[in-house]
Amino acid sequence: MTPLISVKKLSKSFPGVRALHDVQFDLVEGEVHALMGENGAGKSTLMKVLAGVYTRDSGEILLGGQPVQLQSPRDAQAAGIGIIHQELQLMNHLTVAQNIFIGREPRGRLGLFLDEDKLNAQAREILSRMHVNIDPRAMVGNLTVASQQMVEIAKALSFDSRVLIMDEPTSALNDAEIAELFRIIRELKQRGVGVVYISHKMDELKQIADRVTVLRDGEYVATVAAADTSVEAIIGMMVGRTLSDVAPAGRAASQGEIALEVRNLHAGPLVRDVSFTLRKGEILGFAGLMGAGRTEVARAVFGADPVESGEIFVKGAKASIRTPSDAVAHGIGYLSEDRKRFGLATGMDVESNIVMSNLRNFLSLNFFLRRARMRRRASHFINLLAIRTPSAAQQVRLLSGGNQQKIVIAKWLERDCDVLFFDEPTRGIDVGAKSEIYKLLRSLADEGKAIVMISSELPEILRMSDRVVVMCEGRITGELPAEQATQERIMHLATQRQTLKAA
Amino acid sequence: MQPDSSALTGQRRLTGLRARIFSPTALQKLLAFASLILLLVFFSFASPAFMQMDNILGILQATAVNGVLAIASTFVIITGGIDLSVGTLMTFTAVICGVFLTYWHLPMWLGVLAAIGTGAICGTISGTLTAKMKIPPFIATLGMMLLLKGLSLVVSADKPIYLTDTENFYMISQDSLIGYLVPSLPIPNAVLILFFLAIMSSVTLNRTALGRYTFALGSNEEAVRLSGVNVDRWKIAIYGLGGAICGIAGLLIASRLNSAQPALGQGYELEAIAAVVIGGTSLSGGSGTILGTIIGAFIMSVLTNGLRIMSVAQEWQIVVTGLIIILAVYADILRRRKS
Amino acid sequence: MLNRKLFGVVIGVGALVGGANLAHADEVYIPLISKGFQHQFWQAVKAGAEQGAKEHKVRITFEGPETEAMVDKQIDMLSAALAKKPQALGIAALDSKAAIPLLRRAQAAKIPVIAFDSGVDSDIPLTTCSTDNLAAAALAADKMAEAIGNAGEVGVIVHDQTSRTGIDRRDGFLNEMKSKHPNVKIVSVQYGGGDHLKSAEIAKAMIQANPNLKGIFGANEGSAEGAAIGVKESGKKLVLIGYDSGKEQKDDINSGLMAGAITQNPIGIGKCVVDSAVKALKGEKLPKKVDTGFYWYDKSNMNDPKIAAVLYD
Repeated sequence: MTPLISVKKLSKSFPGVRALHDVQFDLVEGEVHALMGENGAGKSTLMKVLAGVYTRDSGEILLGGQPVQLQSPRDAQAAGIGIIHQELQLMNHLTVAQNIFIGREPRGRLGLFLDEDKLNAQAREILSRMHVNIDPRAMVGNLTVASQQMVEIAKALSFDSRVLIMDEPTSALNDAEIAELFRIIRELKQRGVGVVYISHKMDELKQIADRVTVLRDGEYVATVAAADTSVEAIIGMMVGRTLSDVAPAGRAASQGEIALEVRNLHAGPLVRDVSFTLRKGEILGFAGLMGAGRTEVARAVFGADPVESGEIFVKGAKASIRTPSDAVAHGIGYLSEDRKRFGLATGMDVESNIVMSNLRNFLSLNFFLRRARMRRRASHFINLLAIRTPSAAQQVRLLSGGNQQKIVIAKWLERDCDVLFFDEPTRGIDVGAKSEIYKLLRSLADEGKAIVMISSELPEILRMSDRVVVMCEGRITGELPAEQATQERIMHLATQRQTLKAA
Repeated sequence: MQPDSSALTGQRRLTGLRARIFSPTALQKLLAFASLILLLVFFSFASPAFMQMDNILGILQATAVNGVLAIASTFVIITGGIDLSVGTLMTFTAVICGVFLTYWHLPMWLGVLAAIGTGAICGTISGTLTAKMKIPPFIATLGMMLLLKGLSLVVSADKPIYLTDTENFYMISQDSLIGYLVPSLPIPNAVLILFFLAIMSSVTLNRTALGRYTFALGSNEEAVRLSGVNVDRWKIAIYGLGGAICGIAGLLIASRLNSAQPALGQGYELEAIAAVVIGGTSLSGGSGTILGTIIGAFIMSVLTNGLRIMSVAQEWQIVVTGLIIILAVYADILRRRKS
Repeated sequence: MLNRKLFGVVIGVGALVGGANLAHADEVYIPLISKGFQHQFWQAVKAGAEQGAKEHKVRITFEGPETEAMVDKQIDMLSAALAKKPQALGIAALDSKAAIPLLRRAQAAKIPVIAFDSGVDSDIPLTTCSTDNLAAAALAADKMAEAIGNAGEVGVIVHDQTSRTGIDRRDGFLNEMKSKHPNVKIVSVQYGGGDHLKSAEIAKAMIQANPNLKGIFGANEGSAEGAAIGVKESGKKLVLIGYDSGKEQKDDINSGLMAGAITQNPIGIGKCVVDSAVKALKGEKLPKKVDTGFYWYDKSNMNDPKIAAVLYD
């Protein structure tokens, strides 16, 4: 039987990143095919290529045996491929019905005016088929996220596609809603629709998937039958790689004093009852999947997000941290994962960025900038951190990612923080610069700083951490000392959701 | 097992009529309308000269041009963009009309078409700059504003073009069709045109694909693109429509002054935007109504006229207008925060 | 509830203002619609009108659009003024034709209309209070000729060629030179829109093109001040004669950069409007035109009380 979709040797790169390399994939009628992999494995990219959002660099896509070019979302729609994106793509100011049928509104008189009644009727039909009780005339912006996700699903279903791609469709749904979604998926299966299902949630796979394909680092690993393969085996395929750099042996367990203690922190849906301690001189790795809540914990401790309850102790003394300036005053620094947006003033020069957190130190009469002093400090850090830049006056946006990251680090060093949260410190940085950053982190810890390193790259976590804390859906699911930390154990803890029964 | 339905709707359940009256957009419109009524009542008490037929007609006539420009701006602002060129585009279309009618002695209907056509073309250019060349609307239309201002002066050789040769031109704005039918209500045609245009624009916004996409683009342009809609084409069409409406404004002002005044126009775009904003349309796009814009335009002209009738010093008139704009936008921000 | 509070305040304030206005209901009320209100010239006209109002115990208002291009805004103001049923009306029309329909209504309502500064293209105004720009510019020509020894090359910078004032001042200057001072040659007449910068550039260009240039006449405040800037930047010594006053011009005359200027009598214009209106209301007949006067002033007489009174900053 010719598969609905067949992908052969597909490659796609973005500037600096090879997202997909020679990937293969196929989907037959009436199957639910799960696509799995770590963060950055290439799952979303592959699906976006199929949905016409990205164009592939090389390789073939066959639809029902015929090769196709999918240059735009319209092409994909015309080819019968529908996609439910991970990030909701809805227009909040429009109604449910208007969102579902955007671009395909039924016309009334003269073909000029829109037939709103027909639109609502059509929407109502789809929603009732889904057994979902949402008023098609409701404004999407007023709905809960779960309802919005239902609207996205309804929109995808309204295309009567032969192929339906679902990228993390259940991220905002509760059990009852998920059950309803699965019912719809089974119905689609019966009608011969092929469903590609991307999810991190192992238990869901077991319930709904027929086959599972695993991608890793943009490459194809294997395709297995879901019923016959254990969760552990799948995880093994997702992470299995030989560690090219050996974790440094015999790192002395830090016995430094406690620099930061967090107790029972609650801050929004992704920080639930989080407690951990951090010692001077140690690097504490925070592992978990995207959306596990690690960034949210850091932001809450740093005062960037409001805290509902919980206590923070800095150097043993209770600290009230409500804004980032409170945090900085207590010696806590946070290097955010999106350094371009939150870490740097990209239009300004190296010097200005470095002194930015501590500008008060560079003012005479509390008013004028002491340029010479600024220049000296900037030079100091450029040397110390080996920042490669033609001069301190170079605009930051012209530097490479690695050097930009060093500038952010310099900024926080200038501020003389004792506790540093590094959120994805080597994201988007090439291999050479990465090891420099690693060396830097290590030397900072050796100096006595206390470091929390949030990372989605398991090798990095394993290499750098003295201890590893793993989070899943807002809770800490486990803590591992360096000797006991392995990728499998971490992955297991990272996917250990509350509702998971032993698989 | 059936999922709990109310959990799925996840929305405050307001039923029927109460829901429609107390929905946020309805409240905003009500607020603006109530403000207008309050102003009218207030000024009527403040001065006996206010509520006279002559003065009311004066207010209506004074609102016409700004109202039309504000309608043009409403479309663009709902898409999340802005059009700073509406004022000078209006002037340019009036100048072109003058060229057609006075320089080239063509019949009046050609002049009318020329004005609207010029507006549509220039609007399309603005749209193309924004959609295809990705120039931010603020910059693109700022450039167009200056371009059109300069062109108006060049084409007219710095002099007003008088339209007195075309006998019936003044009738577009100044004559009164209603007055023929109901002699006691000599409402100038300009006002009739304003209301007619408002109704058509409202229908377009709410009942046509162009209107639907206007809101959609303002709400989430990326989502629209991913839904397979040709975003560029529709954006250009929306700016083009705005331009054509500016052409109508050009006809109105040229007909009112019986001349095309080339130096006029810069500054009118701010008044138009003020009317749109006071009427409840958000500058960030995605929502807005024509009715709100019309009310906003009338609030401004009633305010100006009322203060004039009360002989408040001109300097203070300007201060008050500025204050009202700030308060109106702030009230809108509060309302949004609540919902 | 923000709006409720707001309107409470508005009503309160309005009641006060409105109440104050209602008290004036029986006074004679004369609105003056000017070409502008921001420029000092118009502020001087306003001051003159207020003087006249105090003298005759009448009430006036003075308003004008933000720029002289806003013809339609002026019409709106005129319309609102008429709605207040004034006893008389003063108007300095931006576009003489556009105002006529409303003026006709005023005439029909037996409201005497007094034009000022610029005339209106009709016989509706009972009189026009303005400067005889032709004669004023002729005086400037005489003074220029005198200053350069009755012979030589001279340039003229005018604000525009479409307004009455622009046309009259240019023609007045040129014709006087032609008829009374035939040895003075006008080598260039340029239009700078009354814009300082533009006029400065024009002056410099004139000096470049005519190395024997002996004098420049700026036909309004902006043109004259711009010309002065241009002459200063070019470093050449010329006879500069200006028009109107303004702080810069006064300073330039004091410093010797400018030889002198012709001033209108803006205060006189304002007063003339009110005086004429009052006269008309009394039933007196008015002359078709009132020449509100112009004066030559230079360093020697600038501080004379009579001259100083008509100069503004």
